[in-house]
Amino acid sequence: MTGGFTGYARSTLRTASFLTALLLAGAALAAAPAPKFTLDPASSLLRFSFDQAGASNTGRFGKYTADVTFAADNLAASKIDVTIDITSLDTGDKERDDTLKSADLFNPAKFPKARFVSSKISAVGPGRYEAQGKLTIRDVTKDIKLPISFQTRDEKGKQTGYLTGRYTIKRLEYGVGQGEWKSLEWVKDDVLVTFSLKLTPVG
Amino acid sequence: MPIRNTTTRWGSVAQLLHWAIVVLIIVQFVLGYRTHWATGLKKLGTVVPHKSWGITILALALIRLVWRLANPTPLLPNDLKPWERSAAHVTHYGLYILLFAMPLTGWIASSARSFPVSWFGMVQLPDFVAPNRPLYDSLMTVHYWLSWTLVAIALLHIGAALKHHFVLKDNVLRRMLPFTKTE
Repeated sequence: MTGGFTGYARSTLRTASFLTALLLAGAALAAAPAPKFTLDPASSLLRFSFDQAGASNTGRFGKYTADVTFAADNLAASKIDVTIDITSLDTGDKERDDTLKSADLFNPAKFPKARFVSSKISAVGPGRYEAQGKLTIRDVTKDIKLPISFQTRDEKGKQTGYLTGRYTIKRLEYGVGQGEWKSLEWVKDDVLVTFSLKLTPVG
Repeated sequence: MPIRNTTTRWGSVAQLLHWAIVVLIIVQFVLGYRTHWATGLKKLGTVVPHKSWGITILALALIRLVWRLANPTPLLPNDLKPWERSAAHVTHYGLYILLFAMPLTGWIASSARSFPVSWFGMVQLPDFVAPNRPLYDSLMTVHYWLSWTLVAIALLHIGAALKHHFVLKDNVLRRMLPFTKTE
């Protein structure tokens, strides 16, 4: 065939290109604004528990920040950045808190913050995701895969985010346990971190 | 040696419980005082077994009480004066009360300080109370003074046993000892 497209065919092609362009523009528009959130500290909890001599000891962090950008339909633009003030740890006992804040354990005098920054978030199920990223405790940074749940709820016209999850850290991998505290005889290696963060939209 | 008590002699079960608890109480004093002066990981090394043995004593005390109530009690010698008889009863009641009061005050104090008690790392025991630092401080003061009360009453108890054996030359000590004969 040498006569080129017929008029009808040309017109159909033009319509198709237009529709494709429209769809692409629509997709770009839908994906563009992944909403930003910030922490509502009063309604959030960040806790940890560890086994000490066969008994579970629990504590919480009182001060931390979370900068979260999250859209289920635009995970590429989604990001979680949590920074924890180590000095705010609270196990309900001053002696235990002071011990945890000593040079051999968290040593906040030298390493005041712990931080998780995600680099990639992927969906694993309805409302469930895996946030790959870097966790820094003391001077050790490790790549981890953090399983999380994220939901939004309309609260007084605002899309409020709920970010929850649990993750077990091996404390010695992060150097939380120097000197005699390297011993796992009384304080086990596993530390379970659980969080449920309420996130209010920014802007 | 019979397993059960008679009115003249303690059976093997009662003797075993008595002497096992004696040994454990001595261990508890050593661990308790080392805990008092230790900090950090060394404190865990003493306080953790202290709690486990304390719970063991509590369990043995319970068994011992049930066993005592389910058995005849060897009678006190007939020639005791009324005040001696009263002194014996007060001492024995006091020791039984302390066998329960010592571990229970320790256990509740652990709960009050949010350091739950585990029995030899095998089972975590429930907490009696919510974390409460003033309650912990009061309970530890009680725990401390009860331990000295226990020493005082135990000295009376030992003194009386030795007096029965060496001065009155009766069976009272021997009937709590294995491998001895009593008529």
